Amino acid sequence: MPVDQGNAIEQEIRIAAQPDTVFEFFVDPEKMTQWKGRQAELDPRPGGIYRVDISDMAVARGEYVEVDPPNRVVFTWGWEGISNPVPPGSSRVEIDLVPDGDGTIVRLRHLDLPEDERAIHGQGWEHFLARLAKAAAGEDPGVDSHASGGPTKSA
Amino acid sequence: MEAALRAIAEPNRRRILELVAEDERSAGEIAGEFDITRPAVSQHLTVLKSAGLVVERREGTRRFYRARPEGFIDLKAFLEKFWGEGLERLKLAAELEEGRRRRASRPG
Repeated sequence: MPVDQGNAIEQEIRIAAQPDTVFEFFVDPEKMTQWKGRQAELDPRPGGIYRVDISDMAVARGEYVEVDPPNRVVFTWGWEGISNPVPPGSSRVEIDLVPDGDGTIVRLRHLDLPEDERAIHGQGWEHFLARLAKAAAGEDPGVDSHASGGPTKSA
Repeated sequence: MEAALRAIAEPNRRRILELVAEDERSAGEIAGEFDITRPAVSQHLTVLKSAGLVVERREGTRRFYRARPEGFIDLKAFLEKFWGEGLERLKLAAELEEGRRRRASRPG
């Protein structure tokens, strides 16, 4: 499938948990909100809704495209709201869970994002940036306490 | 992104960005659109320029400004941070869950 590689985001992280443990964090609303958003509405089957309420000003929404536990999940993605460069369904997130010893490597690819040029010339960029500013400021007050990157065992 | 977010927090600066979004404008043309003093407009232009949201071109003593789209949205950088922080939290949450599962499945 042709994708705009120049505009894709790719991220990878190793997690010391089995793929079936990790997979649930992409399909179970209660587990989703442990890492992303305040509230989630998830119907993990092709065509089912993916909606994660991140802050008052930012709600991510799309639809599941592929749900293949515990290996792969794909959903479309965008922000709700009338004017922004990434409306719901306009971009696509692919998650692959690859077993790695007793852990899992999570590969995330966010594809089909708009060109910056298109975004800025679209209507409502000001509105979008204001939303972005609020989302960035209020996304999750718990971020800093987790900034070290992994749990440490106490002696 | 931080500088860009701070820069757009001010209404006059958002207004300037609208003015130069499509076409290049001279400093004089921009100032003519505002009731605030010319030095104030100049100060706003400096903030926008240092945030990478506008580019300046000099022609003799005149200065021209236009929006720099890639500086504004920096959508990719924002989403990289968005997902990156998310995955860090996913790691913490999934590893805690794995610990609970292992303890639960341990006999006795």
